[in-house]
Amino acid sequence: MLTTVVSPDVRSPGSIDDAVRQLTDLGADAMPLAGGTWIMRAGLRGETPRRCYVSLDRIAELRRYSVGDVVELGAQLTHRDLTSITTGPAATALRQAAALSAFPQVRNVATLAGNIAATGFAAADLVPALLAGQAEVELAGPEGPHRTTLASYLTSRDQRPSGELITAVRLPAPPGRFSAFERLTVRVGGEYAVANVAVSVDVDAGGSVHDARIAVGAVEPVATLGPARALIGHPVGDDDAAQAAGEAVAAGLTPREDPDAPGWYRVAVVPTLVRRAVAQLPQLIDH
Amino acid sequence: MSYSFTLNGQTVEATTPGLTPLLTVLRDQHGLQGAKLGCGEGRCGSCTVLVDDQPVAACLFPVANVAGRAVRTVEGLAAPGAPLTPVQDALLDHGGVQCGACIPGVVMTLTALLESEPAVDAATAKEALTGNICRCTGYVKIVEAAVAASGRGDQA
Repeated sequence: MLTTVVSPDVRSPGSIDDAVRQLTDLGADAMPLAGGTWIMRAGLRGETPRRCYVSLDRIAELRRYSVGDVVELGAQLTHRDLTSITTGPAATALRQAAALSAFPQVRNVATLAGNIAATGFAAADLVPALLAGQAEVELAGPEGPHRTTLASYLTSRDQRPSGELITAVRLPAPPGRFSAFERLTVRVGGEYAVANVAVSVDVDAGGSVHDARIAVGAVEPVATLGPARALIGHPVGDDDAAQAAGEAVAAGLTPREDPDAPGWYRVAVVPTLVRRAVAQLPQLIDH
Repeated sequence: MSYSFTLNGQTVEATTPGLTPLLTVLRDQHGLQGAKLGCGEGRCGSCTVLVDDQPVAACLFPVANVAGRAVRTVEGLAAPGAPLTPVQDALLDHGGVQCGACIPGVVMTLTALLESEPAVDAATAKEALTGNICRCTGYVKIVEAAVAASGRGDQA
């Protein structure tokens, strides 16, 4: 007995336009299918499957990417793909998150947009890395293409319109931006994180942080940006500033409770993860 | 729906709903029972097969997404009576096989690793095997086998 209901219909359009058309026609009965590692476990989560899934697997343009002052990443790139796309220190957190997430068998299949769009997936690893990096999502839908910040997409994720799908993610990579990712798991490899943290900073010529963002996942139901002001004005990698920022971020979190970890514990480890992420940053600058 | 793909080098058609796990198609329609249903949620690695040369969890892989791709299973590595592959030989030589339930998945993970990495050390082997759980061996002999197979691969 396998773990998913096998009756839903799957369509496999060859273009974004066709996928949007099919998703729009099917309405709430359908949703996009990327790698499937989340949707194939819907039954395990007690969810009722949709009547139809629209696979994005045959849409080659969703695997495109380009690097530059903005890194443009196709929705269907896998975690493994992300680890091999060289995109500089602004994307270090994203590469690290992609490399640390799950197992090779899942990283080879699970996609960038799937990690963002999976509802109920609090421990997604790519999401904090993208949030801290001020990522935007490119969307296709019946009204045509449009773009929004990842932060606003996440807060409206449960009410997105039928027919919409993520086509790409834009990650700004300006000069002087550095980022790092840390996660805590109960075992070393593979598990969902108790908490995952990404730090992204903009550093001036003198080595001082002039802007910063900290994102935390797995603690609340959806990853969020926390206050990073304590890092600003300090040398990059400053441990006291990192501790202060980590405490400020932790103080703003309302943790979820589940069998994997009590909420207080998820919050308690956040300052240490922030310190570890900040401690990585000077090494990135040296390289 | 019908989905066409290559299975151990031969073109096959799977006529089944698109969300059917690849593992079900392999075991129930093609009689390939090397890949096992362990956890059914992508954590244990006993269902590991290669899709376009990369290890995947066949229990979570919808058959719709295998259309046009190349699937390889442990049954495709060595024909009956033919010599085993360096990975298979090394696992036997190093005592890496005990109950055997995880081994088809381990073999496929290590096969992909050795095809992509010319020289495998213990750390690389351990990293590659993070998605393959073995409850018998304690992993040491499996890792030793991977390193040894890497050396043999160089000589072959």
